[in-house]
Amino acid sequence: MIVFSGIVVFIVMILTSFQIISRVMGYPWPGYLELSELSISIFAFLGVAYAQRVDSHIRMELIVGNLKGRLKWFVEVFATFFGFLIILILIKYSFLFALDSYKIGDTTYDYLYPTWPAKALVPIGFSIWALRLLLELIGYVRMLFLPNSEPFAIPVTKSPEELANEEIKVIRE
Amino acid sequence: ASVDGPSVFWKFSLWGKRRAFTEGAETLSKRLSEETNGKFQLKIFYGGQLSKSKENLDGLKANSFEMAGFCNFYHPGKNPGLMVLTMPFLPMGDFDKDVKIRQAVYDHPIVKDQLAKWNAMLYMTSNLPQYEFLGKGKPPMNLSDFKGMRVRAGGGVGQAMEKLGAIRQTVPASEVYTLISRGAVDAVSFPYTYAHASYKIHEVAEWYTANLSPGTSDCPYVINQTAYNKLPQQYKDLLAKLKPEAIAAVKVAYKKADDKNLPMFKSKLKEIRYDEKTLEEFRKVAGKPVWDAWVAENKDQFDAQALIDLVFEAAK
Amino acid sequence: MSFEKLFSGEASGIFGIGYEDPILVGLICTGILLVLVLSGVRVVFASSFAGIIGLVELIGVGPALGNVGAIPYSKSVTFVLGLLPIFILIGFLAFQAGLTRQLFEAAKRWVGFVPGGLAVATVFATAGFAAVSGASTATAAVFSRVAIPEMLKEGYDKKLAAGVVAAGGTLASLIPPSAILVIYAIIVEESVGALLLAGFLPGVFSAFVYAAIIIVWAKLNPNLAPPSKRYSLKEKVMSLPGVLPIAIVISVIISAIYAGWATPTEAGALGAFVVLIIALYKGIKIESLKFALIETAKLVAMIFSIIWGVLIFVRFLGFSGLPETFANWIISLPFDPYLILIMILLGYVILGMFIDAIGLLLLTLPVVYPAIILLNGGPDVTAEQSAFGMTFNQVSIWFGIIVVKMAEVCLITPPIGLNCFVVAGVRKDIPVTDVFKGVTLFFIADILTIIALILFPSVITWLPDLMMS
Ligand code: NA
Ligand code: NA
Repeated sequence: MIVFSGIVVFIVMILTSFQIISRVMGYPWPGYLELSELSISIFAFLGVAYAQRVDSHIRMELIVGNLKGRLKWFVEVFATFFGFLIILILIKYSFLFALDSYKIGDTTYDYLYPTWPAKALVPIGFSIWALRLLLELIGYVRMLFLPNSEPFAIPVTKSPEELANEEIKVIRE
Repeated sequence: ASVDGPSVFWKFSLWGKRRAFTEGAETLSKRLSEETNGKFQLKIFYGGQLSKSKENLDGLKANSFEMAGFCNFYHPGKNPGLMVLTMPFLPMGDFDKDVKIRQAVYDHPIVKDQLAKWNAMLYMTSNLPQYEFLGKGKPPMNLSDFKGMRVRAGGGVGQAMEKLGAIRQTVPASEVYTLISRGAVDAVSFPYTYAHASYKIHEVAEWYTANLSPGTSDCPYVINQTAYNKLPQQYKDLLAKLKPEAIAAVKVAYKKADDKNLPMFKSKLKEIRYDEKTLEEFRKVAGKPVWDAWVAENKDQFDAQALIDLVFEAAK
Repeated sequence: MSFEKLFSGEASGIFGIGYEDPILVGLICTGILLVLVLSGVRVVFASSFAGIIGLVELIGVGPALGNVGAIPYSKSVTFVLGLLPIFILIGFLAFQAGLTRQLFEAAKRWVGFVPGGLAVATVFATAGFAAVSGASTATAAVFSRVAIPEMLKEGYDKKLAAGVVAAGGTLASLIPPSAILVIYAIIVEESVGALLLAGFLPGVFSAFVYAAIIIVWAKLNPNLAPPSKRYSLKEKVMSLPGVLPIAIVISVIISAIYAGWATPTEAGALGAFVVLIIALYKGIKIESLKFALIETAKLVAMIFSIIWGVLIFVRFLGFSGLPETFANWIISLPFDPYLILIMILLGYVILGMFIDAIGLLLLTLPVVYPAIILLNGGPDVTAEQSAFGMTFNQVSIWFGIIVVKMAEVCLITPPIGLNCFVVAGVRKDIPVTDVFKGVTLFFIADILTIIALILFPSVITWLPDLMMS
């Protein structure tokens, strides 16, 4: 799914360039602007669970990063459960938002594309996110009760050094 | 204070800054407070703080706020009947006649029922002015001059331009200035004159149409039905009583903008005025076919022809 | 603090305050947000939660959740935000295209003769690379590999060599393309094109200030940066083809905008496309491309999440009237506007120690920005009547560039100055404390730059003004 989301970014970039060239030559693509706007939904929402898996959603590590033992796992259980709860709420209400659009037939303003498929990607992407959070929650609860076992299904807390090492991996000079 | 009643606090959701379009809301807020000795407060939230402009109807459905503005062309699917006011070359007239026509449309059951799905009731029109064209390059003196012209025009006016052989460009309004000045777009239609001036189009354009009246759109104020039902009768009466004042405030604001902008347009740009015969031709070639297509598109949903007929009836 | 009471309404919600005292609700929920963020809850969850709680308090459960349910979609799916992924992708592709070494080589041959020449060359090479990359940390990482070895070989001081790379990396966020400038433009609803243009001169200006301070320092301490070899004109010219790809990208973007072929937004996509072609020409491997796409998609998902997450909190702030009250309170203070501005900027320095730049801007601007605008004299003020001598649009852009520059300074200051950790991570032989010592000089340069930008706003506003008239 993350590859798909990346490929969509790639395709939008290429199509936008062709669209400019084509328009300059006198052949505009009617409705392209609205379609490319709707496509944002794909890369905004389908990749959220993957970002969770690789622990890329921003948080302040200053305190959690320095905690040890059961206290650390307790804080992680709290923070993850918290996220899980919020996402469950957002799944329900973003679904209702998409449903209203579907039932009434909401469209874009100029070329009248239906907006519900793009809106439906929110609860879809969030549902996968919720599953991922649930899995991590189980992993943290397990650590809370069995602090000496091998971590499973949880991202490792990173220090600034480790974060830096991730940045460096990005570069293949 | 002339009206007594309970304390009521209403939130009005608007986007952007204070401008001609919002003067009706400002007046309403001020007058409600005056008439009730501060008991009926209508607080205006600018800048889309309560909702994005396109989601104001969703916000009313969720009961997040009690009043809002919106434009029908933001989401044709949410207000299909109201799109009649976006049809090109309708027999609209001066400000007061416009108000009458729009009110007739608001009162029609088709439009009322569609808004009721969003828990919304139409309160008043902001009477968006006609979308005249400003442009650069060869001025369109007659119908055939629009052929091949690259125009930025939305909704019904855009479709009318396509009937004339123009090429529609979809670009965000904020980019129009640059594209006109660089010659990438030949002409743009905006509510005349204030919107052209607020996007500074007159700085880069060379000509403007003064009486084409190709069409307009509709940006009404709506009230949350639930909140309205909860009001005591004297407050409902007060809202009805203040409506003409609020509409008059919008009229004054547009007039003020025109008084400032028109001399500026006249001195810098070439003015194009069409004679009645040419205008008739525009209506025939670019008006009726668009209306007919719109009626056909909606024939399974509602009687769109009835709304067109209603506009002509009210225009008499 | 004396916040006026704005509304009177029926009490409701969890705390029983409701619209009786929305400012109090605003302050309570801001407190909740801070506690959650400090306890390690991810910013997207913490801010959504604090926002939802506050909205429920003000308008009740159903209306609150109905309103919030629309935010992730409606705040993400907007035309300008479509530019973000493209800007992130362009950076990753640029790294894969391997343009950095040639850029450094050319800079070395052209400016290497001045005192501290290799360090100065590093500054200009990072500035040049900034034109295709918006990522400060990644720029620091790649130049750690390219520039530090050469500097050490010539006998440069380790701390200076590491410091210049960490600081040079920050130029990527000012010189367009820059994701963070796009985010600023979205929050304050300013023209993205104008902000991107506005970042260019301050970015170049920063580079010159860095260069100047290196030259002075090297003159005073010649042993820190021994003189390097001089190159002949022929050798100089021979290095130019290496700079060509970046020159092509820049000229494509500028001419597309100038000729009116594309909006600034679309020109970004066009620039990315040109970088892709260069990367393909340089023989980019398919797995490198896949890697770039996954990294982009991951980063994009994270950035969009934090955007809508914080905007849920901002929606609540809007209902509470807190930004308006804060702005009114700020202008009621009996201080000079410049003093207030400086206090606000110092606040950014402190907050920047704890949270990364995007989170920092998103969390603070909804409250700080209206205050700055009001401080200047409101949305309709003329330049003559305003506090900072600028119109509404000018002050928006000016403040944006200064704040982004502040956020970048936080990338090179302890405790979480990520650029320094990146440099220390690439160079296993340089401890991070040495990097932090090495950037002190550049920290001073940045403070000088910020003072100059405050005193001479036209460095920022000149280009966008030129474009818009
Ligand atoms: Na950059
Ligand atoms: Na190290």
